[in-house]
Amino acid sequence: MRNLRLPGFALAIPAWVWLAVFFIAPVGVVFWYSFGYKPGLFGTHANDKLSLDRYLEVLTPTFFDTFVATMWIALAGTALCLVIGGPVAYWMAVKSPPAWRGLLLALVLVPFWTNFLVRTIGWQVILAPEGWASQAAQAIGLPAFDILYTRAAVLLGVVYNYLPLMILPLYVAFDRVGEPLREASRDLGANRLRTFWRVTLPLARPGIIVGVLLVYIPLMGDYITATVLGGAKGNMVGQMVAAQFQTAQNWALGSAMAVTLILVIVLSAGVVGALLWLVSWPMRRANRLVLGEVGS
Amino acid sequence: MSRSADPRADIATERGAVTLQAVTKRYGDQTAVDALSLDIQPGEFLSLLGPSGCGKTTTLRMIAGFEHPDEGDIQISGRSVLGTPAYRRDVNTVFQAYALFPHLTVAENVAYGLQQKRVPKLELRERVAAALEMVQMRGFADRKPTQLSGGQQQRVALARALVNRPAVLLLDEPLGALDRQLREEMQLELKLLQAQLGITFVFVTHDQDEALSMSDRIAVMRDGRIEQLADADTIYARPASAYVAAFVGQQNFFDGVVAPDGAGVDSPRAQLRPATPLSGFAAGDAARAAVRPEFVELSADRPSGNVNIASGDVIGVSHLGEMLQFLVQLDEQTAVLSRRPTPDAPALSVGDRVWATWRPDAVQVFPAGDAAARSGYVPPPTAAQISDP
Repeated sequence: MRNLRLPGFALAIPAWVWLAVFFIAPVGVVFWYSFGYKPGLFGTHANDKLSLDRYLEVLTPTFFDTFVATMWIALAGTALCLVIGGPVAYWMAVKSPPAWRGLLLALVLVPFWTNFLVRTIGWQVILAPEGWASQAAQAIGLPAFDILYTRAAVLLGVVYNYLPLMILPLYVAFDRVGEPLREASRDLGANRLRTFWRVTLPLARPGIIVGVLLVYIPLMGDYITATVLGGAKGNMVGQMVAAQFQTAQNWALGSAMAVTLILVIVLSAGVVGALLWLVSWPMRRANRLVLGEVGS
Repeated sequence: MSRSADPRADIATERGAVTLQAVTKRYGDQTAVDALSLDIQPGEFLSLLGPSGCGKTTTLRMIAGFEHPDEGDIQISGRSVLGTPAYRRDVNTVFQAYALFPHLTVAENVAYGLQQKRVPKLELRERVAAALEMVQMRGFADRKPTQLSGGQQQRVALARALVNRPAVLLLDEPLGALDRQLREEMQLELKLLQAQLGITFVFVTHDQDEALSMSDRIAVMRDGRIEQLADADTIYARPASAYVAAFVGQQNFFDGVVAPDGAGVDSPRAQLRPATPLSGFAAGDAARAAVRPEFVELSADRPSGNVNIASGDVIGVSHLGEMLQFLVQLDEQTAVLSRRPTPDAPALSVGDRVWATWRPDAVQVFPAGDAAARSGYVPPPTAAQISDP
């Protein structure tokens, strides 16, 4: 036994096998189906003739509109989670009394103790025309509001469901910057705001990217929140993909939609990333300092 | 502090002065700094020396502005800074773990403070280059801190603070993470740099050698108070209390009572007589006498006289480089440490019977019952160094 030495990657083998069998292979199958067609009323898919026709079907105006609506919800939902979750995570990691932090983290995770679907249906009760929210609004003299089955309700549900996924990586990111570096920054004449822009934010960037992707990617494919709270108006791509597989039994078209969704997610994340990089370029340029031959 | 017609003249003449007036800082029911008063002269190298928990770092952090005193006043360059946030104080800090920004290059780290002050780009580049030159890190300007060794990071941290030309530089155990040789090198460099720049240095350390080798004055701290404030010679040769005597350098302590004629201390194994009779003690008072190991001479033959002498067996000999160290056991509870320069050291080995003597002016006497002073004749770190034949 003493001579048995496994290579370093051995520990990662189970994870890789799992990923290969349950993630990469199914995606490959979906990719393959997307080039096929639906053979008659009772078949789900066939691949004896390959074509890109399903992708042309995906690009019809109905699908396109739903894609745009989905992206709008996903982008707005991610942005809202960042705007709401960012300050919370910052406060937890930097300002809150250290003794509270474990409890605060537990509180963020409390919603996860309840089933996702049940939590979302709970909002249905609250937002119904005769629900608490409406009654509370009327009680303080506001008009009754009825936002169930609108995009606003979907957005509300989305932020509620995905906020913890944003807060947790952001908390870790802000926490890891550490008080000594913030003190060093203040010692060198930067106030709190400047310290945040020049030290905390750049160092927390990997965590922020993780949080954004962790919310944005599942959100693009989520259809439970949209179905429960948005009704017909909350139509999202995830719903359409599910409908093709379950109701229409057209696996080929469903696969083409799924592949298109994956491509759109990757592309849109890339575009947003590139835009942010471009926008922050002047600031990075202003603070960059390469000492050439000055003074030497 | 005089108030002249032009207040700016006052500041100019006193730039670099730091005054603490009855400063108190509490954490819950613990008092970290207890009514501490201290005047630091412009251009002075002052060390705050003490064990961990003595309040030295809290004191430094209050000068920097990271902690705020519950009572008392802190003035920098003649002005109270109680209402001034850290980022507007005319001080910079070299932190214990350096706290270099990992996402910035060495040059960008050094430029950070100047950028906050919106120093024009051309001047900024020149000052950053000069600061890096000063600490011999010019060639590393475009590296990231993680690519540097501990000593190099330390230099960058120093440049990052000094480039701002602060009135006061605060150093929080900056050499603690370096190995011995590098630490001794940096001690010399720091001292030279400070003399060159004329900036006030406030240096926090628990290392007596560091404090002794660099400081103009040393404030030995204990339980949030200053036990003694004096230059290195005085601290070493005339410690104000048994605590200071034990903390700075090593000591042989003899507990006993004041002799009937008040001339010294009688302990079970030796009669200790300082050069001048004791004052402030009454005959029969419990007292603690101290003799530094370098004053203890050993000989195989009995010297003349009955005071300042003790006999015992050599139980340990160890080589300290320029010194040889002997441990002599007087009785079961008592041992005396002697250090002799290697060339003149007596040829003694373990088991030899010897006489230990010391000069009267080597004897210090303190009141007994100083609970915090290390008890026993040989401080623990020394006992651990003794070679076992």
